[in-house]
Amino acid sequence: MFSQLKARFGSGLAVGIIGMIAIWLIGLVILPQLLMVDYSFRPNLLPADIGGPKDVYSLTNYETLFGNHIHLKIFFKTIWSSVLVTGLTLVVSYPIAFYLAKVATPQKAALCLLLLIIPFWINEILRTFSWYIILAYKGPLNALLLGLGFIDRPIRFLSGDGGVLIGMVYAYILFMIFPIYNAIESLDTNQIKAARNLGAGWIRTHWRVVIPHAKPGIATGCIMTFMLAAGSYAVPALLGSPGSRWFTQIIYNWFFEGGDWNQGAAYAFLLLIICIGFIALVMRIFKVGLGDIAK
Amino acid sequence: MDSSVHLDNTVMQFGDFTAIQKTDLTIQSGEFFSFLGPSGCGKTTILNMISGFIDPTQGDIKIGGKSMHGVPANKRPTSMIFQNLALFPLMTVAENIEFGLEVRGVSKNERKKASDRLLELVALEGSGTKKVSELSGGQKQRIAIARALAVEPQVLLLDEPLSALDLKLRQHMRTELKAIQRKTGITFIYITHDQGEALTMSDRVAVMSAGRIQQVADPITLYRDPHTAFVASFVGENNGVSGKVIEAKSDLVVLDCGPLGKLAGRSQGNIAVGTAATLFIRPEHFRLQAENGMHTLGATIDEVNFEGAYLTLNAKTPAEQALSIQLGTHQFSESLKKGAPVSLSYNELDAIVIAGEGHV
Repeated sequence: MFSQLKARFGSGLAVGIIGMIAIWLIGLVILPQLLMVDYSFRPNLLPADIGGPKDVYSLTNYETLFGNHIHLKIFFKTIWSSVLVTGLTLVVSYPIAFYLAKVATPQKAALCLLLLIIPFWINEILRTFSWYIILAYKGPLNALLLGLGFIDRPIRFLSGDGGVLIGMVYAYILFMIFPIYNAIESLDTNQIKAARNLGAGWIRTHWRVVIPHAKPGIATGCIMTFMLAAGSYAVPALLGSPGSRWFTQIIYNWFFEGGDWNQGAAYAFLLLIICIGFIALVMRIFKVGLGDIAK
Repeated sequence: MDSSVHLDNTVMQFGDFTAIQKTDLTIQSGEFFSFLGPSGCGKTTILNMISGFIDPTQGDIKIGGKSMHGVPANKRPTSMIFQNLALFPLMTVAENIEFGLEVRGVSKNERKKASDRLLELVALEGSGTKKVSELSGGQKQRIAIARALAVEPQVLLLDEPLSALDLKLRQHMRTELKAIQRKTGITFIYITHDQGEALTMSDRVAVMSAGRIQQVADPITLYRDPHTAFVASFVGENNGVSGKVIEAKSDLVVLDCGPLGKLAGRSQGNIAVGTAATLFIRPEHFRLQAENGMHTLGATIDEVNFEGAYLTLNAKTPAEQALSIQLGTHQFSESLKKGAPVSLSYNELDAIVIAGEGHV
């Protein structure tokens, strides 16, 4: 990499570029993570005791989670709900991605992409707040459903899992649409025509031809959505509290309300490890390699 | 089984653009029929209408006498071989061939039998477990044929399937396609811009230009008796000389071609005295020695190209009209060189006259 950069920009600039990347990676990514790893294995002590005889490495912080049933329940609920969010986002995004890639005219596709992207120019917190308003007990959605006669009395969307699911599917839809869109776009349209021509209905055409081709894109989208959902804080905090708590909120509480950074760090790493393990497992099951995703 | 295809007063429009002018054409059951035309002439549109990927704006498509109106692509008795073949890269060769049968719910055993039989037909026995990417161009071609035949279509549609192959393979595949067509007896509809393919394989050819069928005929008729100036110049090489009709009797027409003098040829259709017409002479119909009843025109040689069995001359008439002449190599002599005058004769029965200015 260095020789390439040197050939293009000269050695001075090449050293500068590599140096900046190194500072960014080491100083802002690797060191803080290592610090957190270090924290997570040490007890939470008064400043006076730090470095003293009590300051020893142990797995105590990690064991805490398995002793606390409520936390454990929320932990697994977070994983399970993130799976649900990922699945729902996939179901919503796949038809949109297919439409954009293969059905819409270029003008229509551009317009749709613009409509999808514009809301994301607004901060995530604000977008979530707008869902807070839409989903409110006396909010416009309930008013609409009541007005149309679908329901007799307003539904309590908020303070439960429903609102969180809706909010998250919306928040992460682009992370799912774009990789799938890219994957489907690279599919030769004649493949779809060939499948149709050989007698395949739409479902089979997708199942046997489009989805296998789009698998790397689907995997990328699912991984991103899953990681974002599992690590989400704003959406569950705004749309789910207090009925639906997310594990990230517990981590937050350890850090900023409990003041126990060591315990928080351990929780954060447990979440990270389980998520990575879960993704590796799912990739194994669906026979997706890391190389496919990088494509 | 009746597997004729009838374009019943079919029109295809895309917005303001008429891709296919009103067309009424019947392709016989079991015929090898080609649509020949330059790119953009609408031939692929016809294929897409027959296969059901698009619906005609007006008129109907009938296959085996049955209207295909409202019948989706996956329910039609047609099968297509795509220009880029469109084999499924993530499936094995056998899975590709069996796909159409799998869709129809045929059991695994039956599918295996069918794919083995088809692999034998295309002379690729035992390649069933291979990946598509492991095949050569010609092998892929044959797998595409096998896949299309697996569903036992009434009509096989071929969209320039040989265009990606090298010359040798292309010529070989022509013979093979023709043999497969004879063996299976299904209607083949072949789309191409390569007249060599159309003329060698087809029973009949429809020449198309700008969304209109110019002429439908067997290859020899098409070559000998083109009805329009477009067909005359698109199918094979031709020299067009325009002039004014000064005499028209039975089927011979005499033109006054200005500095080239009076030239005669067989008339195509009714041509009235006094109108403009074009005389077409094929390069191979020129002779260096005039015989009785031949017409002669003088020209100057521009270029002599030796092509093995024959020579091609490029010459210019006194009216600056470029002519192309093909001679057997045995006729070569030292006098045939750049800048030398040459007198070119032809038999009037070998030339044809078509109404109109005729330069296409």
